[in-house]
Amino acid sequence: MTNPLTLYVPIKQDAKTQETAQGIHDNFVAAVTAGLDASAIVHYARISLIPNASGEGFHAIMLMTEFDGPMNPYLKFFWDNPGTKLAFSAIAAIALTPPNPPVTDLTGFENFINNNNLNDAGDMYAAYPQTVKEIEKAFSTAKAH
Amino acid sequence: MPVSNSQPDRNNVQGMIMRGYTHPWSCHLIFKFATQPGAKGFIKAILPYVQSAADWGDDKPEMMLNIGLTFTGLKVVSKLTTSDLAGFPPTFKQGPASAGSQQSLNDGKSNIDTWVFGQTGKQVDCVVHVYGMDEPALNKLVKIVADAAVAGGLTEYLPIANGTKRLEEYATVPRNSIHFGYLDGIDQPALNWGNPDDPADLSAFLIGYPNNTSQPGPSQGNAGVFAKDGCYNAFRMLYQDVDTFDNFLDTNAKEIAPKLGLSIADATEWMAAKLNGRWRDGSPLELTPDKPNPELSHATAFGYSGDTTGMKCPFSAHNRVANPRDEVLSEPGLPPRLIRRGMAYGQPFNSKTASEDRGLIGLFLCGSLSNQFELLYSWINTTNFSNIFPNQQGQDALIANRSMPGADTSFTIPTSKGPVEIESLPQFVVTRGTAYCLLPSISTLKSIVE
Ligand code: HEM
Repeated sequence: MTNPLTLYVPIKQDAKTQETAQGIHDNFVAAVTAGLDASAIVHYARISLIPNASGEGFHAIMLMTEFDGPMNPYLKFFWDNPGTKLAFSAIAAIALTPPNPPVTDLTGFENFINNNNLNDAGDMYAAYPQTVKEIEKAFSTAKAH
Repeated sequence: MPVSNSQPDRNNVQGMIMRGYTHPWSCHLIFKFATQPGAKGFIKAILPYVQSAADWGDDKPEMMLNIGLTFTGLKVVSKLTTSDLAGFPPTFKQGPASAGSQQSLNDGKSNIDTWVFGQTGKQVDCVVHVYGMDEPALNKLVKIVADAAVAGGLTEYLPIANGTKRLEEYATVPRNSIHFGYLDGIDQPALNWGNPDDPADLSAFLIGYPNNTSQPGPSQGNAGVFAKDGCYNAFRMLYQDVDTFDNFLDTNAKEIAPKLGLSIADATEWMAAKLNGRWRDGSPLELTPDKPNPELSHATAFGYSGDTTGMKCPFSAHNRVANPRDEVLSEPGLPPRLIRRGMAYGQPFNSKTASEDRGLIGLFLCGSLSNQFELLYSWINTTNFSNIFPNQQGQDALIANRSMPGADTSFTIPTSKGPVEIESLPQFVVTRGTAYCLLPSISTLKSIVE
């Protein structure tokens, strides 16, 4: 099964936090690519900065992804993966409301995701049921022929 | 910070976590609390009978018990604040009937609606596991627990015979055999100490110690203090449909016996072994692929990596899925392990007892409900955890939930005479109820009633 995850985290408004948020955004793809390639469970992942209503600065950071496997056990793969662990920890560190429990271990991470995820499985349309692994396998076989 | 490197004190750990009891009689009482004083009074009354993991030497207790609390239960009895309680893992907080857990368990709404405990409206707060050396000893302690429950205003769920009987172990012969006729309780994690990278290390099961595999939690704050030296128990009542199972074996044995050159009796045993991964006497297919060998009944030193065609043991045989051992997995890390402390309930199937309930009282102990119990369950329901498995949408041949959307219920058994293809496996096992419990440390149980 493919799961949607929309992590929406309002962030602090001071200049340093805003700059950090911009940095997380700008480095996101480079930071997570190797780990996500290796995991072969993530279809897409992207990050957005939600502007303040005033038009100045950012109100929140939002990470959206579609990944294979049930949510509860598969969160561990994101935590054990250095690239995604760093990205999620960086987001937790600039959250307007400090996460409780703190995001310093897997249980803290699981809670952080559960408390800030705007989606559940029923919210998502999918054009195809295949997993990343199945898709990659199908195309690598096709290439071999 | 409650995480510590020091070795756990066995006196503080509930016994069933670290040792498999051999008491032949047990009863598993399931409760919902009414009030905090009532719940505390109940725990106080039964606390003297709680068995620790300390060595009892020659003085084996005649009767003893262990206590599990669900998240709703510990909310009632503990002194933890709302902020402290937030520290528990979401899987434990949300419970087995939640949408999140059902992504792995896949019982299906229509099944959950029939559970005798554990879903909305049938909230479980506490499960008490009572053990006795003989029937009178068991009954004596069950009465003490039941009387304390009445005094505390608890509601008891009676899961057997339309809400009239408790969930009691059926003392099987031979010991440790289960309905369907298999020997059980053979392979367990070693529970050694000191290797946080080993999924069979005690630190993968006990909360509060550094561990890199299942990473048990909570380890922070007051929730961490409360949970330290505890372990989770996915308590699951699993009905076994022996009639369907026997009919499946009969029908298929008759069909395949000529192809395999076996008698119908031998083909029946062959099919039972291929579903499970061990013959009914316990001997593993990997070590003795052609016929059972009683000398290997308890053998645990084997792997699957040398059997990349599934010729000895089919890929989706229950044991190969539930502990893939040295199989190359598609995700990083070693396969998770579970401590199994379950036993059979209900009389053996025969023409007189056919309509009665029977199955497995499943006690699946883990440091992380998500990363051990639910991860394995997701593999049981969808065998997608190793690229070597030819069917990535297949299912555990023995125990998966067949009604899961998108499931491929076919089963292929490779043989030297060509594959035996089962078009669609029936549902052999049906969930009757589930509760996610914490088996708290003995000091935590004491702190509750202080
Ligand atoms: C009524 C349902 C079930 C039946 C009839 C059943 C049967 C068996 C049998 C016969 C064995 C081999 C004996 C042994 O190695 O001790 C076994 C092993 C095992 N089962 Fe089950 N089982 C059931 C449910 C489950 C569930 C729900 C899980 C996991 C969530 C599970 C996990 C395991 C594991 C981890 C092993 C050990 C495999 C190994 O280490 O090689 N079982 N089961």
